[in-house]
Amino acid sequence: MIPAYEIEGLTFSYGTVPVISLDRLEIPAGEIVGLVGPNGSGKTTLLHMLAFIEEPHQGDIRFFGQTCTESNRLALRRKVGLLLQNPYLFHSTVLSNLTWGLKIRDVPRQVAAEGALKALALVGLEGFEHRYAKALSGGETQRVALARALVLDPDVLLLDEPANHMDKESIERTESIVSTLNREHGKTIILTSHNASTVQNLAHRILYVEQGRVVPASLDNLFSGNLVQDGSVFRTERISVDLPDRMNSGSRLVIDAQQIRLMLDPPEPDLNNVFSGLVSAMTLENGKIKVKVDAEESFQIVLENSDPIVSNIRLGQRCWLHLTPPSIKVF
Amino acid sequence: MQFILDGFLSALRMIFSLDREVYFVVWTSLQVSIIAVFFSTLVGVPLGLIAATRTFPGKQALILALNTSMALPTVVVGLLLYAFISRRGPLGELGLLFTPAGVSLGLFMLSLPLVTNLTLSGIQSSDPRLFVTCKLLGATPVQQGIMILKEARFAVMAGIVVAFGRVISEVGIAMMLGGNIRGYTRTMTTAIALETSKGEFELGMALGIFLLAVAFFINALLFMLQRRRA
Repeated sequence: MIPAYEIEGLTFSYGTVPVISLDRLEIPAGEIVGLVGPNGSGKTTLLHMLAFIEEPHQGDIRFFGQTCTESNRLALRRKVGLLLQNPYLFHSTVLSNLTWGLKIRDVPRQVAAEGALKALALVGLEGFEHRYAKALSGGETQRVALARALVLDPDVLLLDEPANHMDKESIERTESIVSTLNREHGKTIILTSHNASTVQNLAHRILYVEQGRVVPASLDNLFSGNLVQDGSVFRTERISVDLPDRMNSGSRLVIDAQQIRLMLDPPEPDLNNVFSGLVSAMTLENGKIKVKVDAEESFQIVLENSDPIVSNIRLGQRCWLHLTPPSIKVF
Repeated sequence: MQFILDGFLSALRMIFSLDREVYFVVWTSLQVSIIAVFFSTLVGVPLGLIAATRTFPGKQALILALNTSMALPTVVVGLLLYAFISRRGPLGELGLLFTPAGVSLGLFMLSLPLVTNLTLSGIQSSDPRLFVTCKLLGATPVQQGIMILKEARFAVMAGIVVAFGRVISEVGIAMMLGGNIRGYTRTMTTAIALETSKGEFELGMALGIFLLAVAFFINALLFMLQRRRA
């Protein structure tokens, strides 16, 4: 199956500040993909490039096998729907907002109005068509903007931090729409969030974005520092981690929270990358237990609920962490 | 004081008795102003839209030139155009000097920078998400432009109204390019200047009342536009 997006050598900067730097990325068609990263990591810029409204400074984006060029940019843009984090509605009625995209595609007025009403019903705003768009609440605005994107029947739907301005009911409805669109219509959906737990339920896969790059692990344990000893050790301000492979460059270290081994007894002394600390928090997130351990650095560890160690962990308890080789990534 | 009161009463009499000369002057004024503002809207609004939404070499120079020309004294515009359309000028053969068309051309030159600049600043002060939204909904550049103008309509209309207010009340261009010919190019402002200097205070006063009424109408329109914009 042809991927929805194939990205190669993509770069984008604001002035001299690099925002996006992606060597290669593939987003399969028909999947829900979560882009997770902190504010300012480049998620929104990447989304704008995937919607073809922002041009990369270098590199290629192939959309269902079709390379984006100046001549087909508008045609590709019309196949993608983007819901902005803080959407803008035109100074007109809700119905006019929804039909404008169809009108500029020369869809007959009657057909456009029917489509708009269906999209409004889908987002749970029946009867809102004659309301003045600027008088809607934040959640309603977000839902009208979603309906405006849906009415155009895009091949790919991009949602930028959809939960940000929504109440619980709107979030649940959006999740259900996204899920249905993907399951029943095979649409590819990409949504961003600064918090993995908000997209975990929906997404088939999560890509973590940090400083404009897609990084190979979750960002729960992200440290800045530098390589020492010919690239065999990564040193942060407080700890040194032996790397499984020698690295030539890298200024960030991520430790995959799901691949850290947590022990309640001291391990064998010759095991490297072991840190001792105290359990400072335990939370239940999406059916998994997240344990915070304050060692020289603070670490997050994700455990399956069925893991036998879970029942023995107590707050304030001393424990040992082994950063297993697969958990260590430098970029 | 009596002389002012008498003048005022005579002026009202002229207005209510539908004095032919008064109404012809008012009509000429409105005609040359409307034509000028119509064409400056036709040229200035798209120009302002392009200047606000596109990047091109010389954009800053254009904005600077527009700002400068907004403050141009009307007699300077009149003088420059006089040089072009006078018999010896490069456009002398067109025979525009001392015609209503010549006055309209001068007023067009006066109002064009105003319409362009106020359109530009009106669009630039629009919500930046508007431009992104038009793009992401798949609009072509022309469709984007139409929607941007629609969204910034109150600012653009305010610019046109301000330009109309400026041209209907100016005297330098109308005097230099129109020549204040009775029954042909005489406008409200040139007539007021001439009639008052001749001691025909009543006619000047009657036209002044009309000019004030136009100014009031324009300000009321602006006020309404600004309220709708808010």
